[in-house]
Amino acid sequence: MTLLLTIVIFGVYSAALLAIGAVGFTLQFGVTNVLNLAFGSVITASIFAEYGLTRHSTNIWLAMAVGAASGALLSLFLGQVVIAAFIRRGATGFGIAMVTIALSLMIQFSLEAIQGPYIFAFAASSPSTMDIGGVILSTGQLTTIIVAVAAMAGVHLLLRATRLGLAMRATAADTSLTRGCGVSPARTRAVAWLVSGALCGLCGVLLGLGEGSFSATTGSDFFITVAAAAVLGGIGKPYGAMLGALIVGITSQAAAAVISPSYKTIAAWAILILVLLLRPQGILAEFASERELVA
Amino acid sequence: MSAGQVYYLSGLAILLGINLIAIWGLNLQFGLAGINNFAYIVFQAAGGYAAALFALKPARAYGGFETYVGGFSLPFPLPLIAAAVAGGLLAVPVGLIAIRRLRADYQAMALLVLSLIATGLANAQTGLVNGPTGLALIPQPLAGTLKLSPLGYNWFFLGLTALCCAGAWWVARGISRSPFGRLLRAVRESESAVAALGRSPDRLRMLVLITGGTLAGLSGGLLVEYVTAWGPSSWLYPETFLFFTALIVGGRGNLAGAALGAFLVPILIVEASRHLPAFGYPGLIDSLDWVAIGAVLLVFLWFRPNGLLPERKRVLGGPPGPAASPAPPSPLGRWRTGAR
Repeated sequence: MTLLLTIVIFGVYSAALLAIGAVGFTLQFGVTNVLNLAFGSVITASIFAEYGLTRHSTNIWLAMAVGAASGALLSLFLGQVVIAAFIRRGATGFGIAMVTIALSLMIQFSLEAIQGPYIFAFAASSPSTMDIGGVILSTGQLTTIIVAVAAMAGVHLLLRATRLGLAMRATAADTSLTRGCGVSPARTRAVAWLVSGALCGLCGVLLGLGEGSFSATTGSDFFITVAAAAVLGGIGKPYGAMLGALIVGITSQAAAAVISPSYKTIAAWAILILVLLLRPQGILAEFASERELVA
Repeated sequence: MSAGQVYYLSGLAILLGINLIAIWGLNLQFGLAGINNFAYIVFQAAGGYAAALFALKPARAYGGFETYVGGFSLPFPLPLIAAAVAGGLLAVPVGLIAIRRLRADYQAMALLVLSLIATGLANAQTGLVNGPTGLALIPQPLAGTLKLSPLGYNWFFLGLTALCCAGAWWVARGISRSPFGRLLRAVRESESAVAALGRSPDRLRMLVLITGGTLAGLSGGLLVEYVTAWGPSSWLYPETFLFFTALIVGGRGNLAGAALGAFLVPILIVEASRHLPAFGYPGLIDSLDWVAIGAVLLVFLWFRPNGLLPERKRVLGGPPGPAASPAPPSPLGRWRTGAR
C-alpha cells in the first residue's frame, strides 16, 4: 500500500516537472510547427544562467524568475532570429530539425566547456520535509507541484481567456486562414517562443532543485522524457501534454519502484516508442499533413 | 619522419577507413533513400559488441574482471563477419518500429529516442556487456599468430581496413548505380510516385536500412578490434550527428562527397584540435570540438546545404551532364534565392 502511495505521490511530482516542459514544447510546436530539438539545451542553459547570474541565490522564487526570464530570452532568440532566418531561406521540416540539432550541440557543449570537470550543487534553502501517509516529500517537491499547477492554470487562462491565446490556437489549427483573418503570425509566434522558453527555464530550475545538482547534459536527458509526454498527449495539444505528463510520470516512478531505479527514464522513453507502435493512426492525423513553415 | 609520426599517421589512416565505411553506409540510408536515421550510431555499436563478444574468451577466463554474455573466442575473420551481420539484423526491429508514414522530423526523433534507449539499456543491464564500464581486452585479429611490432601490426590492420573499404565502396557504388539505387532515390524524391509504379516504399526502405546497417556494423567491428575496448560512452547519440555533419559537408548522395566529408569532419576537425597546445582542463578541447562541429553544420546548412560535392543530376537516356539541368532539390529544403 505504501509502495502504491509512493508511486502515486512521486509520480505526481515527476508529472508536475514534466508537464511544465511538455506544455512549453507542445505549445511552441503547435504554433510554429518547428520540431525544436534544442529544447533540452535551453533547459540546461537556463539552469546555468540562473546559477551564474544570482550566484545561486537560495531564494527559490528569485531563482525561478531568473531561470524563466533567461529561458524565454534564449528561446526567443533561437526561434525568431536563427530558426526564422533558416525558414526564410527555404529550409523544410528535416532541414530545420538539423538546424535545431546543430544549435543544441553548440549550446550543450559550450556549457560543458564552461562547466569543466565539475558537477554543480543546486540545493534549496529549507530542506524541510512533509509526511503524507508515510511518504516523505520535501518542500522543494511540494513547491514544484504547486508551481506546476499554477503554470498550467496560467497557460489555460492565456489560451482560453485572451485574444492572444485565441490567435495562438487559431495559428496552430490553420496558419494561412488565421493570417487571412488579419492576425499577425509573427507576433503570435514570438509569444509562443517566449512562453515556451519561460516554461523551459522554470522547468530547468525546478529540475536542478529536485536533482540537487546539474551538469551540461541535465536538460538534454530530461528533454526526451518531456518529448515522450508531449507525443503521448498528441503533440501540439497543451491539454494532451498535461495528461501525457501524468501518465509518463507515474509510469516511470512505477518502473523505478518495481523494476530498478535505472529503468526510470528507459520506461518513459519506451512509452514514446509504444505510442508509435500501437497508435500510429492516433498521431498520424497530426503528422501526415505537412503544414507550411513560415517566418 | 620519425617512427612515432609514422605510427600516428597509420593509425589515423585506419580511423579514416573505418569512418569511410560508416559514412558510406549512412549515405545509402540518408543520402540515397532519405531515411533520417538518428539511431545510426547504434548500428555501429551493435557491430562493435558483436565483434567483441565473438572474439573474447568466456567472461570467467578473465577471473571476473568483466561480465558479459557470450565470449565465443572465435578466430579472425568470424568476429568481423558477426559484426556486419549484427548491424544488418538490428535494422529489422528498428525498421519495423521506425518505417512508418510519419513526418520526416518526427521519425528522426523516434530514432533518436531508440538510440537513447539502447544506451540506457547497455548501462542498466550490467551483465549483458559489462554496463557503463564497457568491454576491454578485446583480442585483435591475428595478433597472436603474426607477432608483429606495433607499427608492423598497424600496417597489417591498415591493409585489412583498406580491404573492407574496397568492399564497402563496391557495394555502395553498385547500389548507387543499379536500378535499386534509382528506386531508392525515387523513394526520397516522391514516395507516392514509387507506390503508384507498384513498388513498396516501405520494403525498399527496409532493404536499404539493412544494407546500410551491415556497413555500419562492419565499421563498428573494425573499430572495436582496433581500439580493443568498447563501452556505452563510445557511442553516445551525438556521434550520429558527427556522421550526418560529415555527409552534409561532403555532399550527401555522392560517394566522393561522403569520402571528402569523412576526411574533413571526423579526421580533420577532431584530430587537428589534438595538436593545439594544451590549454584549460582535460576535456575542454573535446567539448570545443563539438561546438565547432555544430557551427560547421549550421554554416553548411546556410551556405551550401548540398555539400562541397553535390549529388549529380541524373538524366535518363544519356550520360549524366552537370550542365544539363539545375541541381536536384535538397531533402534539407527548397533553397530559394533571395527573400520571399
